[in-house]
Amino acid sequence: MNCRDAETLLHARLDDELDVAGAMDVDRHLSECRACAAQYAALQNLKQEIAAAQPAYALPPKLERKLASRFISPGPLLARLWSRPVALAGAVACMAALVILLPMMRTTNGTSAIAGEILDNHLRALQPGHLFDVESSDQHTVKPWFQGRTDFSPPVPDLTNDGFTLVGGRFEVIHQRPAAAIVYKRRQHVISLYVSPSLDGEAKPTLQNLGGYHLLHWGHDNLSYWAVSDVASADLRDFSNLIDQARGNSR
Amino acid sequence: MWPHMRSAYNLARWLVGNGDDAEDIVQEAFLKAFKALDGFRGGDARVWMLAIVRNTAMNFLRSRKQDVAIDLDQFEPADRSPNPEQGLLEESRREQVRRAIARLEPEFRETLVLREIDGLSYKEISAVLDVPTGTVMSRLSRARQRLLIELAPAKEVRHELP
Repeated sequence: MNCRDAETLLHARLDDELDVAGAMDVDRHLSECRACAAQYAALQNLKQEIAAAQPAYALPPKLERKLASRFISPGPLLARLWSRPVALAGAVACMAALVILLPMMRTTNGTSAIAGEILDNHLRALQPGHLFDVESSDQHTVKPWFQGRTDFSPPVPDLTNDGFTLVGGRFEVIHQRPAAAIVYKRRQHVISLYVSPSLDGEAKPTLQNLGGYHLLHWGHDNLSYWAVSDVASADLRDFSNLIDQARGNSR
Repeated sequence: MWPHMRSAYNLARWLVGNGDDAEDIVQEAFLKAFKALDGFRGGDARVWMLAIVRNTAMNFLRSRKQDVAIDLDQFEPADRSPNPEQGLLEESRREQVRRAIARLEPEFRETLVLREIDGLSYKEISAVLDVPTGTVMSRLSRARQRLLIELAPAKEVRHELP
């Protein structure tokens, strides 16, 4: 590969668009050519800067309500979208209806069903290779990763100074709803924080104990949270307070 | 709530430049999508939706024939550094980057927005913009080259000792 070929392929490499062989070709060239390696580093840095700049416009709530009342309440569109073979899109569409319906349907029973699902998900994630879709201790890498994957912006604060280290994030579907799972570590204990939009507004934290794991659920600022871990329950409560504070600060 | 409302509105804002026009575009696009749903033959609903938004915005811009001025406000809340001084620096850098994106020519800007904000793959971008993936790659390359140049001299304030 020469530098001319590399020039555009660097972008494909940066965007994870090359197959393994293609990526290896580019990497080989980068190991041999200082100029291209420097360019690649600059591009990586630029990508991070763009992510950190949070260049996404916020959807005005007024417009969101207008669209919702106009297109959602009769429901035919969602129903028709579901019937199409669009698994992922369908899942996203599902969220819309479920976000509205779920709080109405939720019973104590429903809540504990979710708790079981969350714990299962957390335990599965602890298996090797399942913990992250995006692995990074940089909030500016993890948070933007969720853009376009979730229809809401989960809080991803840096809590290193408080003893909780950000390690990554992944996309999950919990109870048929898309959820952002953000992974922190407290010493060697893994904490999964599941965030999804909620319409039930504020909910006081409730702690459950399932099979040696603590699950803390609360609702704040239109988001519903589940934190699950084998850390001490007091640590988990601290953690939830920090998340709420961070969300408050970013307003 | 409607799937992809957020992406649709964001793309419209980056194309037409201001909130009022973007709201009109999104509403018109959703109405079109609603009517055209029977024509939707499966595939990725987000790509389909974004393509409609983009076409609606393009028609609007063609009819208006004015230069687009992009308002750089009303972004999603960013994570703020707890240190106020650091926070101000970060905010000013965020503004620089957004301004640089706003200055890109429309075809570079839309490609970059779809890639870096919505995280679309080259194939998805090519479907939204109706251009070959090779064109997507070369536009991204030129867009980023432009940004590197605009943002290059790291704008640091030097504190020289007297």
